Amino acid sequence: MTDAVAMTNERNQIFRDLFSGKTPKRVPISNPATQDFAIQYAGLDLAECQWDLTRLEPVYDKFCQDFFTDTYPGGSIRIPSHYQILGSTPIVMSSSGFMQHPEVVGLLAEEYDEFIASPYDCIVEKILPRLFTELNGAPGKVAMALAKAMRAQSDDLAYLGTIRAKMNAKYGYAAMIGALTEAPFDFVADFLRSFKGISGDVRRYPDKVAAACEAVLPLLIKKGTLPSPGMLGYTFIPLHMAPYLRDKDFATLYWPTFKKLVETMAGMGQNVQLFVEQDWMRYLDYLYELPENTIMRFEYGDAKLVKEKLGKKHIISGFYPITLLQTGTKQQCVDKAKELIDVLAPGGKYWFQADKSVINFEAKGPVAENMSAVLEYVHENGTY
Amino acid sequence: MIDLQVLTQAVGDLDEKAILTMINDFVATNPSGEDAQKVVLACQQGMAIVGELFEKNEYYVGDLIFAGELLSTTIDLIKPVLSGVATQKVGSIVIGTVEGDLHDIGKNIFGSMAEAAGFDVYDLGIDVSPSAFVEKVKEIKPQIIGMSGVLTLAIDSMKNTVKALNEAGLRDSVKIIIGGNPVNEDACKQIGADAFTTNAAEGLKTCQGWVK
Repeated sequence: MTDAVAMTNERNQIFRDLFSGKTPKRVPISNPATQDFAIQYAGLDLAECQWDLTRLEPVYDKFCQDFFTDTYPGGSIRIPSHYQILGSTPIVMSSSGFMQHPEVVGLLAEEYDEFIASPYDCIVEKILPRLFTELNGAPGKVAMALAKAMRAQSDDLAYLGTIRAKMNAKYGYAAMIGALTEAPFDFVADFLRSFKGISGDVRRYPDKVAAACEAVLPLLIKKGTLPSPGMLGYTFIPLHMAPYLRDKDFATLYWPTFKKLVETMAGMGQNVQLFVEQDWMRYLDYLYELPENTIMRFEYGDAKLVKEKLGKKHIISGFYPITLLQTGTKQQCVDKAKELIDVLAPGGKYWFQADKSVINFEAKGPVAENMSAVLEYVHENGTY
Repeated sequence: MIDLQVLTQAVGDLDEKAILTMINDFVATNPSGEDAQKVVLACQQGMAIVGELFEKNEYYVGDLIFAGELLSTTIDLIKPVLSGVATQKVGSIVIGTVEGDLHDIGKNIFGSMAEAAGFDVYDLGIDVSPSAFVEKVKEIKPQIIGMSGVLTLAIDSMKNTVKALNEAGLRDSVKIIIGGNPVNEDACKQIGADAFTTNAAEGLKTCQGWVK
C-alpha cells in the first residue's frame, strides 16, 4: 500500500467517525480556499483559466502541495462553459472572473398557482426559458444549445474529475462525494422570485409562498440525493434567506419544508452539511431539532453558545474568520485557530472549516502565508 | 388633506394597502405641491420608524427591501403633483458595488433609505471599477461615497478604489463608507475608508452625521 492510499484510508476513517458521532483521532481540516484562489495563486488569469481547464493540473498540484487539507480542495465549482452556452442569467462571470449569482426573477408573482400545481412543468416550460436566453426560442435551436451545453459540461467535469483523481492519488485525501441542494424557501427566493420579490411575497401572499415550498420539496430532495446513501460524503445545503426574515415568517414559511428536507436526507442514511450563512443565532433552538449529527458550518455567531446548545447533538464547523487572514499577523491568525479549537473540539463533533471561502489572492497580501500557517497549526494541534 | 400621522404610522407598519389607498385618494384631490411635499415628508418619517424597528430586531433585511419598494411606488404616485416644488437635499452620495462583485441587495437597501432621508443618491450599479468611481466623483462632487460588496474579494477592490481616489487627488474631498458582509474595523482601516457598517440603518446615521 502506498503512503497516499494509507493516508486516504486514515482520512476516510476520520470522517466516518466524525459523521457517525464518534470522536476521530484528530480534528479533520478542509482548506477554505477554492479553485478561484488556486488559479490566482499560480499566477494565472482567473477568467482565462476557467475557459481552458487543461491548464489547471499544475494549478491544483501547487495548491495541494502548499496548503494542508484532508479533503480535496476543489470545492463546488461553477464552470462557465455550459452557463455561457445556455445564455445563463442566474449564474454569470464578473469582471474579476468570479462566477456568481445576481438577482433574477424566474417566476412572476401571478404565476405562483401554475408553479404550485406542477412545479416541474413550470420550471421546464416557463422558468428555464426565462432564466437561460438560449433555452428560449425555436425547439430545434433550443435542442442544439442544450446538447452543446451538456457536452461542454460533461467534458469539463471529466477533466476536473481526472485532476481530482490524480491529486487524491498523490496527496491521499479522503474519498468523499457530495450532492448539492437548497432549502425550498431559498430555492424559491434565489431562482424563482428574487430577494426583492420574495420579500414582498411573504407579506402579500404568504400562503402561496408556503405552497410553493411544499410543491418544490420533492424535486429538491431528489436533487440532494447521493448515488448511494452509504457512501462517504454528504449533501451540501447552503442556507440563504432565514436571517433576513422575521421570526414568524421563518417559523411558518422557511422552517417546515427545510426541516422535512433535512429529515428526509437523514432518513435515507445520508449525512447533511448545512452552510449556515449569516447570523442564525436567534434560530439555534430550531437547528437543535434537526437529526443527530447534522453538520453545521457557521458563518457568524457565538461559537461557545453554539457548542453549548448544539455541540452534543450536531457536528459543528466554520466560524474561522477568513478576513483575519487578510488583516491579521501570522500569530493572530494562529491564535484565532487555537481559540476556536479550545472552544469547539472538546467532546468531539468538530471539523475545522472557515466561515467563508477564500476566493481571492493578492500577490503582495498576507493571505497565503497566514492560511498556510493556520492549516499547519490545526494539523499539528487539532486534538479533541 | 390626509392625516399625515396616520400615513407615517402606516409606512412604519409597512401596511401596503393602507398606504396606497391614502396616497391614491390624496393624488385624486389634485393637491398643491406644498401639500404633496408634506406627504413625502410623512413617508420619510415612516421610513425612519422602519429603520428604528430594524435596529430593534423587529424588522429584518427582507422588511427593509419591502419598505424600499413601497416607498418608491409611493413617490412615483406623488411625483406628478410634486412638480415645480424645489426639494431640499441634505447632501449627495455616490454608491456602487465594487469591482468583481455583482451583489446589489445591500447597496439598494442603503440607497433607498438614503434617498428617503433626503440624499441625492447616484447609483453606479454593480461591478464598478475604481475609475468609474473616480469619474463620477469628479462629475458630481459628492460629500460621500458608499462602496458595497458581499464577496471577500470586495475588500481588495475597495482598497483599489480608495487608492484611485487618492491618486486622482479626490480622497480628501469625500467621506467614504463601506458596507457589506466582509467588512469590519480592520478591513476598514486597511482599505482607508472613514467608516464601515453591516447595517444600512446604522450606515445612514453615519452619513447623516457627516452632512450635519
